[in-house]
Amino acid sequence: MTDEPPAAVREPDGPRPAGESGAAPAAGAPRVRPTSLAEAAEALGTAAREKQALLFTGAGTALEWGAPVGRTDVVVETGSLDGLVSHAPEDWTVGVEAGMPLSRLQELLAPAGQWLPLDAPTERGGATLGGLLAGGDTGPRRLKYGGLSDLVIGATLVLADGSVVRTGGDVIKNVAGYDLAKLMAGSLGAFGLVARLNLRVHPLPESTATVALETGDPGHALRAARAVMRSPLEPVAVEWEGERLLIRFHGTRESTSARGRLAMDLPELDGARVLGEDDEHAAWEALARLIAGEDGRTVLRAGTRASRLPALHAELTALTRDTDMTARLVSGIAQGVHTVVLSGGEAAEHAACVTAWREAVHAAGGSVTLRRRREGVDALAASWGPAPSTAPVMRALKRQFDPGGLCAPGRFHPWF
Amino acid sequence: MIDTALRKRFEAALGRDAVLTDPLQLRTYECDGLTGFREVPALVLLPRTTEQVAAAVALCAEAELPFVARGAGTGLSGGAVPVAQGVVISLARMRQVLEFDPDDRTMVLQPGVTNAEISKVAAPHGLYYAPDPSSQVVCTIGGNVAENSGGAHCVKYGFTVHHVTALTVVLPDGSVVRLGGDAPETAGPDLRGLFIGSEGTLGIATEIRVRLLRTPQSVRTLVADFPTVEAAGEAVSGIMASGIVPAAVEMLDALAIEASEAAVQAGYSLDATAALVVELDGMEDECEEQFERVVALCREKGTTHIRIATDAEERARIWKGRKAAFAAVGRISPDYFVQDGVVPRTRLAEALSRIAAMSRAEGLRVANVFHAGDGNLHPLVLFDEQAGEAERAERLSSEIAEMCVELGGSLSGEHGIGLDKACSMPKMFGEEDLAVMGRLRSSFDPGGLANPGKVLPTPRLCGESPGRYRPHPLETAGVIERW
Amino acid sequence: MISPHGTPDPQPGQGPAQGQGFDAHDPPSPDLISDCVHCGFCLPACPTYALTGEEMNSPRGRIYQMKLIGEGEAPLDAAAVGHFDNCLGCMACVTACPSGVQYDRLIQSVRPQIERNWARTRADRAFRGLIFRLFPYPRRLRPAAALGALYQRLGVRRLLQRTGVTRRLPARLRALEALMPDVPLRSALRRTPAHSPARGQASAPAARRTVGMVTGCVQQVFFAHVNEATVRVLTAEGCDVVAPREQGCCGALSEHAGREEEAVVRAKRLIETFEDLEVDAVVVNVAGCGSALKEYGRLLAGDPEFAERAERFAAKVRDVSELLAELPPLAPRHPVPARLAHHEACHLAHAQGVRRAPREVLSAVPELEVVDIPESDMCCGSAGVYNLVQPESAEELGRRKAAHVRSTAPEAVVTANPGCLLQISRHLDSELPVLHPVQVVDASIRGVKPW
Repeated sequence: MTDEPPAAVREPDGPRPAGESGAAPAAGAPRVRPTSLAEAAEALGTAAREKQALLFTGAGTALEWGAPVGRTDVVVETGSLDGLVSHAPEDWTVGVEAGMPLSRLQELLAPAGQWLPLDAPTERGGATLGGLLAGGDTGPRRLKYGGLSDLVIGATLVLADGSVVRTGGDVIKNVAGYDLAKLMAGSLGAFGLVARLNLRVHPLPESTATVALETGDPGHALRAARAVMRSPLEPVAVEWEGERLLIRFHGTRESTSARGRLAMDLPELDGARVLGEDDEHAAWEALARLIAGEDGRTVLRAGTRASRLPALHAELTALTRDTDMTARLVSGIAQGVHTVVLSGGEAAEHAACVTAWREAVHAAGGSVTLRRRREGVDALAASWGPAPSTAPVMRALKRQFDPGGLCAPGRFHPWF
Repeated sequence: MIDTALRKRFEAALGRDAVLTDPLQLRTYECDGLTGFREVPALVLLPRTTEQVAAAVALCAEAELPFVARGAGTGLSGGAVPVAQGVVISLARMRQVLEFDPDDRTMVLQPGVTNAEISKVAAPHGLYYAPDPSSQVVCTIGGNVAENSGGAHCVKYGFTVHHVTALTVVLPDGSVVRLGGDAPETAGPDLRGLFIGSEGTLGIATEIRVRLLRTPQSVRTLVADFPTVEAAGEAVSGIMASGIVPAAVEMLDALAIEASEAAVQAGYSLDATAALVVELDGMEDECEEQFERVVALCREKGTTHIRIATDAEERARIWKGRKAAFAAVGRISPDYFVQDGVVPRTRLAEALSRIAAMSRAEGLRVANVFHAGDGNLHPLVLFDEQAGEAERAERLSSEIAEMCVELGGSLSGEHGIGLDKACSMPKMFGEEDLAVMGRLRSSFDPGGLANPGKVLPTPRLCGESPGRYRPHPLETAGVIERW
Repeated sequence: MISPHGTPDPQPGQGPAQGQGFDAHDPPSPDLISDCVHCGFCLPACPTYALTGEEMNSPRGRIYQMKLIGEGEAPLDAAAVGHFDNCLGCMACVTACPSGVQYDRLIQSVRPQIERNWARTRADRAFRGLIFRLFPYPRRLRPAAALGALYQRLGVRRLLQRTGVTRRLPARLRALEALMPDVPLRSALRRTPAHSPARGQASAPAARRTVGMVTGCVQQVFFAHVNEATVRVLTAEGCDVVAPREQGCCGALSEHAGREEEAVVRAKRLIETFEDLEVDAVVVNVAGCGSALKEYGRLLAGDPEFAERAERFAAKVRDVSELLAELPPLAPRHPVPARLAHHEACHLAHAQGVRRAPREVLSAVPELEVVDIPESDMCCGSAGVYNLVQPESAEELGRRKAAHVRSTAPEAVVTANPGCLLQISRHLDSELPVLHPVQVVDASIRGVKPW
């Protein structure tokens, strides 16, 4: 047993890092803030014995994602579970406690000339690595480097009954046993708590450059994106933010500037220009802020075949034409990951648009997660679309991992 | 048992030519690439469609028959060894490319398509499929999904899980589900990622959507000889610490070189103690600049000879020598075991010298041919079964795998646990970890019919508590950790 | 479609010899069998695995069956015989194998075992007997071919085809009928001259080489024009060509089908025919014969009288492309502006390991574009008498090959084996000329159109 004192349960009005959204689901529930793995295990074990419903939170940037949680008896904060466990620069690995914010990890890795090549928009709100895995938030650079779950090589989890489970390992290649970290990826906290993560890191690129092409036409943007992808330029990100296409390159200084020049030579990119350093930074910042959303906006995230973009954009335009809403569609255009941001207008309009556009995405073979919503939307629109074929498996997993239904109950209602 | 009535139902569902019952025919399915484990199935099925697989699995579920999916039977962990009196579902006839969209850079495949075939089909469009296990000309994408296969280039490009976006899967109850989606991001938990690498224990993938990459503009390959394995290991560390992400860093020791040269005459130096194959790819200018740095690093670490591939043909020869090395060991030894342990790259030299010491102590030769860039060792323990060396070889082989775990690594980097290493799992994972993995498995397969006996240790297989992992009390309390 | 299990269904009680294993006379060697590490690299190379997806119809599976039968764990039964018979003997697996397994030797020792220890059905025996009493004998084949030419000339074939009579023939007879080449009557009756002197070039008046030429059995009847082209090219390149009359069949077809005694008799006769001639090389333009000739040493290793003579003979054997590649071109080549699909004969590429020579020889022809066929390693289904005895598999392979040939949009196809030539022409429905490479070289030297 441990000599550590049990995790303190604090009153709801205690200090806590605010999520960027400012929303405070489960505002009235007591909060625990474990400082060690043992404390986390104990907190969950205690809750399980007392059949208390749990909500896990890091920086709280993604607490609204999915369906609203039905009941929260205890909020488990990971903010004090934020230590660096190990860093082996030559092995390209780092081990962290899951409450560590991504931005802090980057600061720790930088002196070794390394980074985690993840640019999740919620990073700006202080998003933690555990939260980023559970939320599945990834940024434009996923195109080249993959998302966080692609960089996870091992994890320590605390399950609903307080048991501590390890999966994977801490070498960059390993196929022993099931990869439970994948169950956590995108789980929105419904299967347990991510307590520690072992990650593969990459060398920091020497330089970055971004080429911008002004175009509000998704078809044009798609053609240009394809031309870049066909070229040997190997972009790390290709994003269409509704009014322009941004194409980013990493590499040595000479190489990124050469790539920028070569990109502008592509006939499909006629009129494109290389952004200056400040403009480049500002462009990607603005994109990230747009995707992260803000209060009063509705944000949908969808994944489809890349080529579906023009049709889905047209559908969105049609859905918002005669409304007071403004819709913005941002697309990771080379990967088929789209974010729709609705602002202005009435809740009913938002709700109608959510339902109809989601149907269009489903019809195109894709899937949708509702990330944020304008107040009042929940009463008018379901948080999730029709249950996928995997719903019975998800239910079976839920029964196995959280038989009492204590972890974020209702998060995936009505799927499970 | 499978009686005539049941056999007829299989025949009705799949067609007569898709059901094998002849005893000799069944015996040709009794093992995969790891021939030490053998079990004769009661029936072999050769479906052609998802519907037929679903029908076959549903019949298995109804009759409570265990089933094992099989691709090309090249696995090296006994993952496709049949279950006695069970069914083998061979996917060898499911080798259609169902869809190819060069614009979206995606392809949908039946599981029996070989890994190399994917790149062959994609090549005219300047695209390729990145994971490239050494057996890529024969191993199937279905098997790659089951094993989460990597290959020489995974240090830069990742594994199967990074390149498969969606799966159509027949679950062990015969139902058909779709995991993942058309984009790399889908709603809900990542069941696709969970399924990939599950070694056939969660169901059978019958349609596989892969993403394709653009063929790199430039590829540069060299072979650098070193006077010692340690010097080669240091060169690896030097390259990896330089900020370069090489496409591949492979090492062959003298024995492996001898075998490979005997087989394919790829031009490796027979007098080198260790040879490194380093490959860089990417845009031409950057690739060139980095390649020069790699050459300089190899010189700095004492290379005795550098051979630089001057054209695609020579590069292909270098890789042929590397990729054939495994099977070629058959030329210098009647029998061998292959291990697949991983160690942190910084402990490569230590691992290799410990293997050498263990090899000397056991009096058996060990050849090493492996993915040095990610620390994935492939020690090949050579022995002669007829000389009664099998048992010692097996012991040495297991000891090597467990040493990898001890050094902070893994039992398997890419071959999977299968039947071969299931009993070693307690060396790497605690009882609780394994129990939870068992719960995951029964979420998909409550009846325990999909490839039973693989991945997780069972008392029947491993005895009551075979060298069981004993966690430190503090570890039990969650105070300390191994990772 | 190929029949269930890729082979005739095992039918128990077919003959008297069921349940036996291999006999003691040269069974597949356990040592050679143990070279196989079961890695499976042979699977994608194997045509019958490509067709059936069945382990027992792959080289790895066949070796496994040899092991089981050899160890007495399984009988040599109908199923096993079916799987061995189904092997084309294309030896693509030998090329593919990284462990150096000598599958060629293994399957060649299994075939006679089957002939001795397995009672084929009466119909099977009769059909195989017909083939082996006809093909290896030019004297018998020539009248048959003449009749065949007549059969074609008189439109009997078209009539029979139109009325559907041929469709009702058993598959094997249908295969035999369909393969019959359109042989001009005159061609079938021509013979290669016994001696053709080198044609003097100003630069090299004396003969560069004296070569003996194997004229073949099927070749000299159905492909007399290929033999003629070979003689013309060789003499133009400064070779004296000696082609003894009555050399008979080399035994390749027999050996390929496991009729070992027959093969041995023929090999001895051929060695006797050539050994007293003072030749630098024995040249052959049939890949299937060439691979057998080069293996005479092994075939006769156990014969004290012939072992050494066979080795000596085998060492002199060259495919015509090998010989031409060794000799720097002497006769000027005229341009042949055409796109040719090059089908590699298995018995040249896999069995003899000759891959570069035909390409080199063709590359000396100006303006000729030679393209490889997709899946070039895969057998066309001809494989000796395979397309006659295993017509279903052969049919499917032939169609597959023809599709790949078409995909390269060539103006003609070249291949160095008459079996392949017949098989490919047939599946291309004669829409493209199919030639031996030496015919193209001949046309280039003579400055005529090759087709």
